[in-house]
Amino acid sequence: MKNTFLSAAIMATLLAACQSNGGKTPEQTVTSAATENKETPVPSRDAAAAPVVKTGMADGIVKPYLQLKDALAKDNGKDAAGAGKEIVAALANIDVKALTPAQKKTYDDVASDAKENAEHIGDNADKISHQREHFAMLSADVADLVTALGTSQKLYEDFCPMFNDKKGAIWISESKEIKNPYYGSKMPTCGSVKKEL
Amino acid sequence: MKKKIKIIFAVLAALFLLIQFYQPARNADNGQVHTADLINIYQAPDSVQAILKKACYDCHSANTRYPWYSYLQPVRFMMENHISTGKADLNFSEFGSYPKRRQISKLNSMQQTIKNDDMPLTSYTWIHRDAVLSKEEKTIMIDWINNLLNTLK
Repeated sequence: MKNTFLSAAIMATLLAACQSNGGKTPEQTVTSAATENKETPVPSRDAAAAPVVKTGMADGIVKPYLQLKDALAKDNGKDAAGAGKEIVAALANIDVKALTPAQKKTYDDVASDAKENAEHIGDNADKISHQREHFAMLSADVADLVTALGTSQKLYEDFCPMFNDKKGAIWISESKEIKNPYYGSKMPTCGSVKKEL
Repeated sequence: MKKKIKIIFAVLAALFLLIQFYQPARNADNGQVHTADLINIYQAPDSVQAILKKACYDCHSANTRYPWYSYLQPVRFMMENHISTGKADLNFSEFGSYPKRRQISKLNSMQQTIKNDDMPLTSYTWIHRDAVLSKEEKTIMIDWINNLLNTLK
């Protein structure tokens, strides 16, 4: 009985979601059809019909990186290792041929280092202190990759002044709220936002 | 019963003799100079060179100082495995060919592994007693790497 109710609820939500999506599509087709019919389409209208999606080439890496950062902030070495492995895969997926010469230069400098750091994180699920050492280096790599290749997401560069014998280390976050990945539950709010990436 | 044991023993002895013939190429550079070697590109002082060579280079360079028992199988097999993993992670003979970023990361990792006594490995120092780094030797390495990192950044 409970199950029937649940599945009905899920169905309803799905239907609603489909409808809200479907509601938009015919409208869009109408507009594009209308522009196509006109001999000289108005440029501003044309731009509105095809919204420009800003796709960052670093997005594939940012996603598992943010998962890694969250796992470390929660002192979860196992999840961190999983995310590390995903970063290795994401690095291999970057379309090197699509890079500009300047982007390629950063990529060549960073990629092998980032890969190695991510591999170490992936292989050390039971040694979170070691994962964090490599996370410090990986974060610098990812920050430079994001700057060079771009991302569609708003990101912040945070700074933890205590890590590595007070030499400090950065990390990247999607929110302004501080959740320290270097010390986890020991010092969850230690650190500050340095800049926007 | 006695006969069975004899046969097993004979087979094992024969296998042991047979694997002695498996002697893959050694990790030896025969005195070749490596221009990209860490020691050459960053002019390591003698004290640093001595530590690197006695405690690190056997597994992390193109030249291993093989002990006599390394000619015995299966010791040799295990050792060769060890060396190839060590070199894949960090090869001081090719250090200069790494991108600058990787060099910096490697130097950082070296400092950390020395501080945490993660390297040299206990399985290595167990036999190579002179590779156990004293407090002074650790300080020499850490300070040298610190200076080097400052010039690289």
